[in-house]
Amino acid sequence: MSESPEPLPKLSRNGHALHCIRCLSGLPSSQMEMDASRLALVFYCLGSLDLLGVLESKSSNTDREAWREWVWEQQATGGYGTGFRPSSFMIGAGSNAAEYGEYDAPHLIMTYTALLSLSILRDDFSRLNRAGLLKFLEHCQRSDGSFCSFPNSTESDLRSVYCAFAISSMLDDWSGIDVPLALSFISRCRTYEGGYGQEPYAEAQGGTTYCALAAIHLAVSSPSKSLSTPPLTPAQRRQTIRWLVHNQHASGGFRGRTEKDPDACYCFWCGASLQILDVKALVDTRPLTEFLGKCQFKFGGIAKAPGEHSDPFHTYLSLAALGIYPPEIPEESWRFDTLDPLLNAKEDTARWARDNIPLKPRS
Amino acid sequence: MDTPPALYAEDPAWADVVPIPQYEGVSPLAPIFYTPEYKDATDYFRGILKTGETSERVLELTERIIRMNPAHYTAWQYRYKTLLALGSNLEDELRLMDMYCIKYLKTYQVWHHRRLLVTLLLPAPSTSPSPSPSSNPNPTHLQTSNPTLALLQLQEELDFISRCLSADTKNYHTWSYRQWLLSYFNHPRLWRGEVKWVERLITEDVRNNSAWHHRFFVVFASGHGEKGEDAVREEIAYAKQKISLAPNNASVWNYLRGVLDHTHMPYSTLKSFVEPYTVEQEGRSEDVVDLEDPLPSAGAELPCALAIEFLADVHEQEGGVEAVRKAVELWKSLANEYDTIRKKYWEYRIREALATQQ
Ligand SMILES: [Zn+2]
Repeated sequence: MSESPEPLPKLSRNGHALHCIRCLSGLPSSQMEMDASRLALVFYCLGSLDLLGVLESKSSNTDREAWREWVWEQQATGGYGTGFRPSSFMIGAGSNAAEYGEYDAPHLIMTYTALLSLSILRDDFSRLNRAGLLKFLEHCQRSDGSFCSFPNSTESDLRSVYCAFAISSMLDDWSGIDVPLALSFISRCRTYEGGYGQEPYAEAQGGTTYCALAAIHLAVSSPSKSLSTPPLTPAQRRQTIRWLVHNQHASGGFRGRTEKDPDACYCFWCGASLQILDVKALVDTRPLTEFLGKCQFKFGGIAKAPGEHSDPFHTYLSLAALGIYPPEIPEESWRFDTLDPLLNAKEDTARWARDNIPLKPRS
Repeated sequence: MDTPPALYAEDPAWADVVPIPQYEGVSPLAPIFYTPEYKDATDYFRGILKTGETSERVLELTERIIRMNPAHYTAWQYRYKTLLALGSNLEDELRLMDMYCIKYLKTYQVWHHRRLLVTLLLPAPSTSPSPSPSSNPNPTHLQTSNPTLALLQLQEELDFISRCLSADTKNYHTWSYRQWLLSYFNHPRLWRGEVKWVERLITEDVRNNSAWHHRFFVVFASGHGEKGEDAVREEIAYAKQKISLAPNNASVWNYLRGVLDHTHMPYSTLKSFVEPYTVEQEGRSEDVVDLEDPLPSAGAELPCALAIEFLADVHEQEGGVEAVRKAVELWKSLANEYDTIRKKYWEYRIREALATQQ
């Protein structure tokens, strides 16, 4: 290091953990928009506690047992197979929550976050309806290779594609999806800048670029299926790396699109993308850490930018970014276990998922 | 008009509907403290779904839920179904949505609903390269059969998008909606005005990457832009002009690289243009005006890291010991002086270039 940098502020680990515990115990009415994606929010809270290494110390066995029960309650089976709902927001009192109808079907993105949440909680997955899950994936894939977020929905984008790949990878069973077709959809989302947009023709964006790269590499690295598709050509790889490193702003934080302001969540989306491309050493971790340090909210949690309010999404993704890029001279409060960038979970949680979610445990 | 009661539970017009409260199972994680209005409306919504009623009041109910939670995808889904079942005037719905698109600009569902409506309102050409968002076959009775009228409606839709973008110039949903609209309806007349239109947005904010991306989409990616060498030359001249006004703008450099990559032109084509941007601003005779290769504007901050990077790429592409040595010098200047945040990246470029030379 050329100049002696200012000492890092402390990472308020306890404050961030308490922010997540508070959200798990209840959300104010200003958060009503989370009604249709609550399970994802739960994942960000549990994931933050997992990354901070305080899941056990901040909750009792009884708490975690109750949390597992709630996540399992979102699993439902019906005509399009099995998946997890965001919450009981569309289920009527008195109905059988284990079955769904036309208007309370499971959701693909929620299903991915449910499997990770249960892995964080070290569930044995004996209740997982694996055959139903494969059927669900099959029903969600569209003729252009993309995936709908729920059966018969017309909403589809790269996020759902990533979730379908991550679920297949955790199941160690790719029979539910047409991988080459999905890969061709992903390649149609690539833009002249070297990133990927949310759908064909859309602007390159950090989050969807992560989804594209992680999906491609999950498929390629799947042990049970040797896909012959090369992930990226050398020229594409060079171009994508260039675009990603240029998204690091002089302040240390990453932005999601060219010439926009930096935002804490893109420290993960772009940072994890670089790790997936095997070049994480190219990131200057010190300014990255300093930026995230400034995004800490005084009452706990991490915000998208300095001076903004915190939320579980940005808290989790900032901590996950630190799992990839811990500061070089780690002050104790900034120390993290390593992260699995493809599944977006702490390494031992990802290992738990891969050991327990497949039908037959690998020998 | 009287204001309707705040709660459906107190509204005689809803007395025949049995509200269904939300399922309560095991102790919930991250429960949301609903407002009484939201709880009431969603209770009646579940009641409606049970009977399968599709009626005017269901449209009002779903609208009320959407106003409280625009991300409620089931409310949107059922609203759409109800509109179809009632044979409602979708023009009216679109006008209502004009307001919602601006109010809930950042919500995916608002824009998705709009795609569904527009797909039903207008006939899709059979050559459309984009899939329809709707899985239903288009009910032809809803569509206008007059092609001139259809074009007019599409033009109106583009105007609407322009108004939304003036409120939020980089909104991702709004831009993707425009790109979808153009590629889905794929009307030759529609494409024609796009370059001029987006030029205005770039003039307003030369760092609006969404606008640059759109320009690339229209001219190159869509396959509907002007073709031929003249068009490529024009795009390069346009980018050079914008660089001369504000060189430290990654959007325009990415655009320029995109054009060269897309047309397989060597970067060395622009070597003499780029060079003046890689050195410090010096006193020069102002009367030398080179239209082909505009010089940096007087106030430009130089040297420009993006120009140095470009010139290094020119040398690297050229190959050979001497050229690579020049590239390495430039990368070193980026690593140590002009773009230190990417020091590790520039050092990596040096290693890679030297390795391929061995
Ligand atoms: Zn963010």
